[in-house]
Amino acid sequence: MTIFLSSVGFGLVTASVLAIASVGFTLQFAVTDVLNLAYGAVMIAGAFLAYLLNSHGVNIWVAAVVTAAACAAGSVLLNAGVYAPFQRRGTAPITMVIVSLGMTLIIEFGVQAIAGGTSVSYKVSEGPSVRADGFTLTAVQFAVIGLAVLTMAGTHVLLRYTRLGKAMRATAANRTLARNCGIRAGRVITATWAITGALCGLAGVVFGMDAGSFDATSTDLFLIMILAATFLGGPGQAYGAMLGAVVIGLATEISAAYITADYKYVVAFVALLVVLGVRPTGLLGKAAT
Amino acid sequence: MKFTRPASRRTRRVLALAAIPAAALAALTACSSGSTSSAPAGGASVTGTGPATGSPLTVADVAPFSGADASLGPTYLASCYAATAAINANGGVQGHTLTCKSVDTRGDPADAVPAVNQMFASTSSLALVIGCTSDEAASVAPIINAHKMAMFCMTGQSEFDSVHFPYFYRLVPPDLEESYADVAIAQQLGYKRIALAFGNDIGSQTFIQPAIAALKKAGITLATNQALDLTATTFRSEAEAIVASHPDAIMTEALGSADPTLFQEIQQLNGGKVIPIIGTSAAISPAFFKAAAAAVGASAFVSNFHADNLVTETSGPAYQAFSAALLAQQGKVPGATGNFSTYLSAPGGVHLYDGINLAALAMIMSKSTQPSVYGADIIAIGNGRPGATVCYSFATCAALLKSGKAIRYEGPGGPTNFDSFHDSTGIFQVDTYSASGAVNVTGNLSAAQLRALSS
Repeated sequence: MTIFLSSVGFGLVTASVLAIASVGFTLQFAVTDVLNLAYGAVMIAGAFLAYLLNSHGVNIWVAAVVTAAACAAGSVLLNAGVYAPFQRRGTAPITMVIVSLGMTLIIEFGVQAIAGGTSVSYKVSEGPSVRADGFTLTAVQFAVIGLAVLTMAGTHVLLRYTRLGKAMRATAANRTLARNCGIRAGRVITATWAITGALCGLAGVVFGMDAGSFDATSTDLFLIMILAATFLGGPGQAYGAMLGAVVIGLATEISAAYITADYKYVVAFVALLVVLGVRPTGLLGKAAT
Repeated sequence: MKFTRPASRRTRRVLALAAIPAAALAALTACSSGSTSSAPAGGASVTGTGPATGSPLTVADVAPFSGADASLGPTYLASCYAATAAINANGGVQGHTLTCKSVDTRGDPADAVPAVNQMFASTSSLALVIGCTSDEAASVAPIINAHKMAMFCMTGQSEFDSVHFPYFYRLVPPDLEESYADVAIAQQLGYKRIALAFGNDIGSQTFIQPAIAALKKAGITLATNQALDLTATTFRSEAEAIVASHPDAIMTEALGSADPTLFQEIQQLNGGKVIPIIGTSAAISPAFFKAAAAAVGASAFVSNFHADNLVTETSGPAYQAFSAALLAQQGKVPGATGNFSTYLSAPGGVHLYDGINLAALAMIMSKSTQPSVYGADIIAIGNGRPGATVCYSFATCAALLKSGKAIRYEGPGGPTNFDSFHDSTGIFQVDTYSASGAVNVTGNLSAAQLRALSS
């Protein structure tokens, strides 16, 4: 029971970081039609920006806000400067994936060239630990979980109750029809890049806080986990990404406790394959009609 | 007669757009796999008659400059800058100056092989290769050897103990012996239960079996053995398993962000206390200290950390020459971060400085910059011949050679004794860090201690 509670605690922290990242990623994919593999690279660029601020004495939570804003702007520019021109010329989706892969390398190597190859850590107090029968989490980890809950709630409110959110859902469902209904799809897409970029930056900072120590390549494997959570929940489904993040986060940590840590990612991806075998559209995905 | 029609404006635009990221990627790849740094330069071509007199020769640092082991490349580059600057300041070799070039392997054989092939294709003045860590040595050493290029490798892999590559030289011990050294440290400190936590890379995994065997021989209990996936972002499960196994100390080598992250998570799960750590010599680097100290706090880290390291000079003429040459490069070495003086004790810093000096002196002695010619004199100068004069720096050794004397070079890494496989191993010391990142030597490990732990 002790091991189980402990691994559930760790799984919730992992799921929280993953949820913030996955919701941004899946929203971006749904509305913009770009499977942006550079998402992880933008995350780590954000993590390093926050490190730069933090190392100059800025509180990490303030740095997180600044980073979210910077990544929002950066993502809008990334779309305007790279992806949108390709899309306007009718570039095939698979080619767009390759373009985003290229952007991953450019951003990641760029960060490494500037920051160097060494690992860095934020100056942040972990705060007191809460222990209960094997369940051990620090104040910072509780804050990360809380931030994830707030982000999920905010996303829910955005998509459900705001004009922008409804326009985003309409654009994601059928861009042409949305345009014909008077929705300015171009603006909606730009707003989506900004919102998901902000989530990406925020995810980068909490990722850095959770990892404790990170370098320019640290999100390489994490991007695959984001993809797993996204496709487990159903690509383009924000609520599915939340659910997928929880499943992947808990599966990795609980399996590591009961089998061996060597296989924790194997177990997570076996779970993904099983779910996709039963429901090819993911847990909350809808079949194309 | 034309068989194709001219590209339309739209096609040209698409091609132009596609060319932008393609060109950027090509430039990026080129930058990441090789860049010439200009410590003053000199070198020999691999084929043909050699470079023109006065042209620079290149020493290539084939090592990870990115990826999990990215701190290794700059460490070796620091030694290259120091050695080549001192050599150039003392007349160079055979009318050539020496320069350093970084070749990024990313610590992965899949990236290392094309990077090395590209290095040979693009570097006509190559005279020596340094680096080739355990991450990539098994895949690149045969290629470098096939090009008949001399290499000083920083690999402990045991396959090089018994396979003969004529152009391969090694001044560091096999991982086998370093495993014994770590267990000997555990014995000295009186630990009874040890947890192993090594990275899942080739270079780190080679420690495990010898360490387990040596622990058994020493009567120390193996509390747990955790492999750390260097691409993972957290190691909470591994940390939990380690804490639950109640070890007296953790024996580890997991570079990049892995070890610092593990230390922090263990600290969290262990009521804020760091479990004592025994690291390998790879942990003696400014980058490792900086990351680990930032993760758990400098005072907590230094009061719980020991590492094995080859015995290196800390005083005397060889150390003085090395120290002066290295510290003169502070602020000039790309990628070097942290306390620069730590490089004075870093195995890569010390032994590759010696390797470059040995090769340069061999070039002078053989009057050739061709590795196939000067290679034999590396052994002659390193091991010495009867009656040879012992010298401690490139300047004094080169002067003795030019005056017709036989020499034996003893650098800051101490005396060398190459065997038939061109391996030269020394004895070990125990290192700790001060809170500022300076390295302190706190003890020595005798050959008898290591023999007692060997199978």
